[in-house]
Amino acid sequence: MTEAKDLSRRNFLRKASLVSGGALMTGSQLWANENIANTPPNVPSWMRKTGKTVGAAPYGVPSLHESDIVRKTVPWLTASPISSVSFSPLHALKGIITPSSLHFERHHSGVPDVSPDEHRLMIHGLCDNPLIFDMDDLARFPSVTEIRFIECPANGGMEWRGPQMEALQFTHGMLSCSEWTGVRLSTLLAEVGVKKTAKWILAEGADGAAMGRSIPIEKALDDVIVAYAQNGEMIRPEQGYPIRLVNPGWEGNTSVKWLRRIELGDKPWHLREETSKYTDVMPDGSARQFTWVQEANSVITSICPENPLKNKGFHEIEGVAWSGRGKIKHVDVSFDGGISWQPANLKGLVLDKALTRFGFNWNWDGSPKLIQSRAIDETGYVQPTLEQLRAVRGLNSIYHKNSIQTWQLSHTGEVKNAQRS
Amino acid sequence: MRKEARSVWFIFVLTAGLSCGISASEVLKFDIGQPASLVQIEGWDIDVRPDGLGLPVGSGKALSGEDLYEEKCASCHGSFGEGEGRWPKLAGGFGTLSDVRPEKTVGSYWPYVSTLWDYIHRAMPFLQPQSLTDDEVYSLTAYILFLNDLIDEDFVLTHKNLPTIVLPNQPHFVNDPRPDVHNTRCMVDCISADSNLAWDTANLDVTPKVTLKKMSDNNDSKTAMPSAQAVALSTYVQSCAVCHDAGLSGSPILGDKKAWGVRLELGITSLYEHAINGYLGTSGYMPAKGGNSSLSDPEVKAVVDYMVMMAR
Repeated sequence: MTEAKDLSRRNFLRKASLVSGGALMTGSQLWANENIANTPPNVPSWMRKTGKTVGAAPYGVPSLHESDIVRKTVPWLTASPISSVSFSPLHALKGIITPSSLHFERHHSGVPDVSPDEHRLMIHGLCDNPLIFDMDDLARFPSVTEIRFIECPANGGMEWRGPQMEALQFTHGMLSCSEWTGVRLSTLLAEVGVKKTAKWILAEGADGAAMGRSIPIEKALDDVIVAYAQNGEMIRPEQGYPIRLVNPGWEGNTSVKWLRRIELGDKPWHLREETSKYTDVMPDGSARQFTWVQEANSVITSICPENPLKNKGFHEIEGVAWSGRGKIKHVDVSFDGGISWQPANLKGLVLDKALTRFGFNWNWDGSPKLIQSRAIDETGYVQPTLEQLRAVRGLNSIYHKNSIQTWQLSHTGEVKNAQRS
Repeated sequence: MRKEARSVWFIFVLTAGLSCGISASEVLKFDIGQPASLVQIEGWDIDVRPDGLGLPVGSGKALSGEDLYEEKCASCHGSFGEGEGRWPKLAGGFGTLSDVRPEKTVGSYWPYVSTLWDYIHRAMPFLQPQSLTDDEVYSLTAYILFLNDLIDEDFVLTHKNLPTIVLPNQPHFVNDPRPDVHNTRCMVDCISADSNLAWDTANLDVTPKVTLKKMSDNNDSKTAMPSAQAVALSTYVQSCAVCHDAGLSGSPILGDKKAWGVRLELGITSLYEHAINGYLGTSGYMPAKGGNSSLSDPEVKAVVDYMVMMAR
């Protein structure tokens, strides 16, 4: 009964907000206007018949009522959908795990259809025993399972010059977090016997771009995983099936998908995706290279352009925080555009280089607010303001915009993406 | 072979490990995997470094890359490297890196020539990666350097001289200095209330407004796309949309009734023939099978049918 009521009420709320153009209605008004046959005291239609059989959806799909919660693209952003990006619907996600179907996508030459029977991982270069592993080989090694976020360093990159996207999905959606299972890369590197002269690895994918990145050996031997499973099942094609690198806390494309080759060398390779792209232009025209770490960041997800407020009164402000340098230590929230701050609660698991959910219990009095969140990680790093970032990096660095996000809540409950003029 | 040879050793290590109370995960080697032969490594080891390591023996003259560039590259990158639409600009842009809108090209931005050779070889042309010969890659690399006025048209680029060419922006790359921005965890009176009066909001109307069909709509036989058409659409997106969405190389844009009407006068058989074998007309250039030689003739015909249908 409760579930049925909630579903119909929720749909009604959506319709009501459309009809009223976002104008606020009180709870009693909502119920007075409601005229739905499946609500009390009526017996819902779905209780008067049998439902679909067991096995009707052997793989299962979300409720039809949730079909607008999907990855979305910004068509004007890239020249071709073959080399492009889709964004996760952060406004509709709960907890810290992104459903595999909703993990953001960034492909440089589309999604290859890789046969696991013929796919191989080759490790060679400055090592004693260059080896080739098939997928069965990798499954035989001791496995590790860890929850880690992956974020494209261009996340937020459309917002350097001013507020542009009117949706959380597009301001922050190149961010997802999964439980990854696979073999520690250090295990595989021990198997080939790394020579002392090896200082770097090259990780390369089996896509049409043969996308490759150079990674220092210290990181490769630290926490990197060659992953074959994501959230309990084999990795999705869009996420690198049958295997990908998971390079925790670093730029998303260093977690090379469809991983086919790792070479050990004494210098970096300076491939296209670490020279022409994924380098940050500074105001003086110089460019930062190998800007690997995704610094601490956070955003409020329960109030955002997609989630306007429909009632005064109690709301739990929720959001996610993350840091490529380790665990989240604190998250603070502000309702006055950063004049004053209050600590939020960290909820559930607080893990290394994973999304951390935070919450803050709040009563809205109906007045306009400028709502922000600010993450502090275990290194003491405090998420900066956009003004602070711009003062050092200007407007053209594209990548690594991890500044405090402002949502402007109007008296109607509407929410806009805002930046200080 | 390797597995058999090492299995006895592995059992010994494992046994020794267990007897000492060491878990299997602490055993350094597991004797899993096959040795990679030199031939196997050579086949896959495609990377090239700035010092020339990985460059195959070969050469190409800048001028001899011109025709190949026109055929394989210009439809996206422009005849002079100026870039069509949102495709990457390859030439020019010198001295713009500190401008309001920097132009980051091979000449103005890229630090190493090896990156250009490596990227053309591993990933270009966009629809036919790893289809060029080594000498073709040398020629194209040289031609793009020529478009940037970095070498003469007669210059012959080789595996020996490539690492010696220094690109102008190479000295201007620096390593990551972050954390470079230092905020503090202030809780009260962090900024003055006065500075908090003016705010800009997103009003550019550039956010995609997607009205998604409900999944249930797809079960409606009246609106469900026939599977053959769905396959043709998939082919279109993969192999045709790069040009036909934007009209690159003089191609008729999908759904442009006027542009397609002229071509339909030739008859569907001619359209099939041009699409399958390629066509050079007065207004544009159609590469055979759109540059995707893996498509079968029936697949090409199906996608032609789809594009014709969209123009009616």
